Amino acid sequence: MRLVKCWFCSSTIYPGHGIQFVRNDAKIFRFCRSKCHKNFKMKRNPRKVKWTKAFRAAHGKDMTKDKTFEFEKKRNRPERYDRNVTENTLKAIKKIDKIRSAREAKHIENRLKPNKQKKFLDDKKEHEQHIHLVQAPGSVTGKIKVDVSEKKSVQNEAMEE
Amino acid sequence: MATALASRLSKGRSLLGGLCNAFSGLMNSSNGMMNGSILSQQQHRSFIQMGTILKSVDNSGAKEVMCIQSLRGKKGARLGDIIVGSVKDAIPKGKVKKGMVVYGVVVRAAMQKGRADGSQVRFDDNAVVVVGIKEKKKKNSDGSKRKFEYNQPTGTRVFGPVPHEMRLRKQLKILTLAQHIV
Repeated sequence: MRLVKCWFCSSTIYPGHGIQFVRNDAKIFRFCRSKCHKNFKMKRNPRKVKWTKAFRAAHGKDMTKDKTFEFEKKRNRPERYDRNVTENTLKAIKKIDKIRSAREAKHIENRLKPNKQKKFLDDKKEHEQHIHLVQAPGSVTGKIKVDVSEKKSVQNEAMEE
Repeated sequence: MATALASRLSKGRSLLGGLCNAFSGLMNSSNGMMNGSILSQQQHRSFIQMGTILKSVDNSGAKEVMCIQSLRGKKGARLGDIIVGSVKDAIPKGKVKKGMVVYGVVVRAAMQKGRADGSQVRFDDNAVVVVGIKEKKKKNSDGSKRKFEYNQPTGTRVFGPVPHEMRLRKQLKILTLAQHIV
């Protein structure tokens, strides 16, 4: 059993799913579902189709360079079965997956962060400069300063009563 | 009979054979090129039946073979099946000449074929390898009908990718001649 990647969207293809297309030059294209297959038949370039991994990698949306990807490389040499190795590999897969998804999330967060700050500053500026567009003429905003002279004696008398 | 007829027509095939099918296929593909949107009909690949023109991918002499009969399957031949065909186009000096009736093994089919691991494979075109020429029926010495094993290709080379379904079909010679096994 071997897990392969879809040629179009780069998602993993599990056994029993998808179609393999063999071109006459013997190049094999594997598709995870008919959506990818149909897009291929329409001759669409996956690097231009926004929801594919190829697009996201090419446009810097997703993390591409990381050591965690090297664990997933295709190996053609079969390994001799060793129970301990299998057990450790299975544990490692879970851990590596966790680390990788955490790093990917961080990558996206870092990508969006400067934009968040910029947005906040823009909003602040707009509020300062253009508040008159939404304000009703004649209304007053902000804190109103009212002069309160000390008339304690009057107050005390009022409270006593 | 009526239901069978209806089901055949609904699949886009006509009883007249491959001719109409090929024409509608052409129409489909030309439409697809134009808009490539949801409106373009997805080409439903079907079996290799009487009238289907297949490419010959060996050096036996034939270039195009038209299927006359599929030796397996009621609906038609699929990847790996043997067909009886008429040579429609051939190279001038070859073992096989135009107009001969030949037996061929389908090595590439545009219709997807399921594999044991659950995946589906499909190729770009329909292709055959010529494995025998039809002779007049001769009976065995004891009077019984001869059973032919078609697994010796007429040509000496095979071009293009060949699926490993050939191993199941005992077409081992084709596998050894193949450039690329898929």
